[in-house]
Amino acid sequence: MANVTLTINGQKVSVPAGTTVLEAAQQFGHFVPTFCYEKDLTAPGACRICVVEIKGWRNLPPSCVTAVGEGMEIKTESPAVIEARKTILELLVANHPLDCMTCEKGGNCKLQDYAYRYGVTSPTKFEGEQHEVEVDDSNPYIHRDLSKCILCGKCVATCREVPERSVIDFAFRGFNTKIATFMDTDLKDSACVYCNRCVSICPVGALTDKNLKGKGRSWAFEKKEVTCTFCEAGCKFDVNYKDGKVVGVTVNSAAPGRPLCLKGRLGTDFMYNPDRTDLPLINKDGEFVETSWEEALGLGNIVEKINSLKK
Amino acid sequence: MENTVTLTINGQKVTVPAGITVLEAAAQIGIDIPTFCHDPELSRPGACRICVVEVKGWRNLPPSCVTMVTEGLEIETESDAVVAARRTILDLLLANHPVDCMTCQKFGDCKLADYAYRYGLRKTSFVGDKTDFPVDDTSAVLYRDMNKCILCGKCVRVCAEIVGRSVYDFTSRGFTTKVAPALDAGLGETDLSHCVSCGSCVAVCPVGAIAEKNMIGKARSYEVKKVKTTCPYCGCGCNFDLNVKDGKVVGVTSNPNSEVNGRHLCVKGRFGYDFIHSSDRLTKPLIKQDGDFVEVSWEEAMDYVASRLKDIKEKNGGDAMGVLTSARCTNEENYLMNKIARVAFETNNIDHCARL
Repeated sequence: MANVTLTINGQKVSVPAGTTVLEAAQQFGHFVPTFCYEKDLTAPGACRICVVEIKGWRNLPPSCVTAVGEGMEIKTESPAVIEARKTILELLVANHPLDCMTCEKGGNCKLQDYAYRYGVTSPTKFEGEQHEVEVDDSNPYIHRDLSKCILCGKCVATCREVPERSVIDFAFRGFNTKIATFMDTDLKDSACVYCNRCVSICPVGALTDKNLKGKGRSWAFEKKEVTCTFCEAGCKFDVNYKDGKVVGVTVNSAAPGRPLCLKGRLGTDFMYNPDRTDLPLINKDGEFVETSWEEALGLGNIVEKINSLKK
Repeated sequence: MENTVTLTINGQKVTVPAGITVLEAAAQIGIDIPTFCHDPELSRPGACRICVVEVKGWRNLPPSCVTMVTEGLEIETESDAVVAARRTILDLLLANHPVDCMTCQKFGDCKLADYAYRYGLRKTSFVGDKTDFPVDDTSAVLYRDMNKCILCGKCVRVCAEIVGRSVYDFTSRGFTTKVAPALDAGLGETDLSHCVSCGSCVAVCPVGAIAEKNMIGKARSYEVKKVKTTCPYCGCGCNFDLNVKDGKVVGVTSNPNSEVNGRHLCVKGRFGYDFIHSSDRLTKPLIKQDGDFVEVSWEEAMDYVASRLKDIKEKNGGDAMGVLTSARCTNEENYLMNKIARVAFETNNIDHCARL
């Protein structure tokens, strides 16, 4: 494919035609914030936090849905861009609970990161009504606090990628818009199978992994990618370690397929289960007695037995 | 022979040296007790009470940082009574604390946030006044927001006991108590505050009340890679951590395992790193040609300097030149400069800045 040459923050770059401005900028190490953009999902261009300035353009276009053009001169953090981003953040922060202190997402939250980067703090100039959505704590897997939702819609889009799922969608209008299941039930009464792909891409604290709740902040965990051993599908997920111990399993990415079934998600529980048997037991006189593997498998004196068969 | 004491902590029997505190004994077996006002290098006021533990048979919950181990103590560090006491303390602190963790520089390295998370205290249950102190923005290097201060007093003690400046103390009474320099001056008003900007207070502050100004908005503790290094400014050999994000140095923080200096640094070591990525920094030699500085190669620059120095020596003698060396150079480099001056230039005009 033909290449397009453009300038990003004064740096001349050449990228394949059809690349978005966002991808081009990220490719060359220029920071552009995103909320609603996700690599493998259709970009709605909705949140506008990724706007950039392009010389000669009337407006600030969202970089995630703007294709590169020959000779474009792009600025990713000009004063106009920063002002637009600050306003978007102020509007979001104005209707956001400020409980970062105890929020499970603290340290791994895009809203918090960008508010920090652009110095947007409460009270903003848009103080007003705040959402009071009851927390959906009805299931053992996903903690759903929609008062923290910024309506980026990524959970809706990723759920739709799973055949016959589409558990959630936007419901209601205007300020009352929220992400809801069919008939606005709790997740437990919906068609949700708790694959947790939505949790893996939620940019804020609206959807969090319940199995990690209270176990530590994001920066306290070390994540290791593993391939699940429960079936042959070969799903990958992250095992979260804290102080050398496995504390929970999380989705690695919202990749095609089901990122985390019940077995993959819960299978680590037996690791530290005190009931777990490490050695075989043989029932002797009504009592289970620990024994060696050789004895349990009837392989005692195997070497002698083989030797006796030799001439 | 060393005296030892045997006691029980959370059901675990431990033998520890006599004369240590319950807090230290618990730490030895990996039990984490929260602390705000305690610091191993400073005197112990036992003031904040977040480190209280339950001792079987004792009437009250003693603060573990000032309670010595004795034979046969039976201690619970997270019993219901202990957790209830800690939750009340946190609840009271949160009642008068700004909720701007979203942008607070200290988030990720804040004891108040960590303990609120640990004990699940999402919101305060007390309603009342909030302090509204103006932010002290007068210092060139430190940002002080006393509305976030929890009055642990560690900054007061580190300044008095380690640095020996006594810049801070508690002022006013009751709810309006705050830590301040003399006459409530700003830190940057050095004729009153006498602050030398060493930043020892920022190294011990458990919350976001004191922050490194030049790190604000750049990176929080969990985003940076800490690289231990030795300070190049003088011969002391202090160690500290360079905070690196995306391959760039965004700040310096204390490394408690520094053998020479512990967590203590001077203004140069802690705050003098902005030259690293400065656009004004010279990275190539320049020679003045027709009134303009022009970039040249190192070979050309060295040749030029050598030939000019030779010319000057021939025309005016070695004493027309002088050499000023630097404390930032190694001993070996300074020795070589001494050789160049006395042997090559044939002059005794050599001195050393020593006051960089």
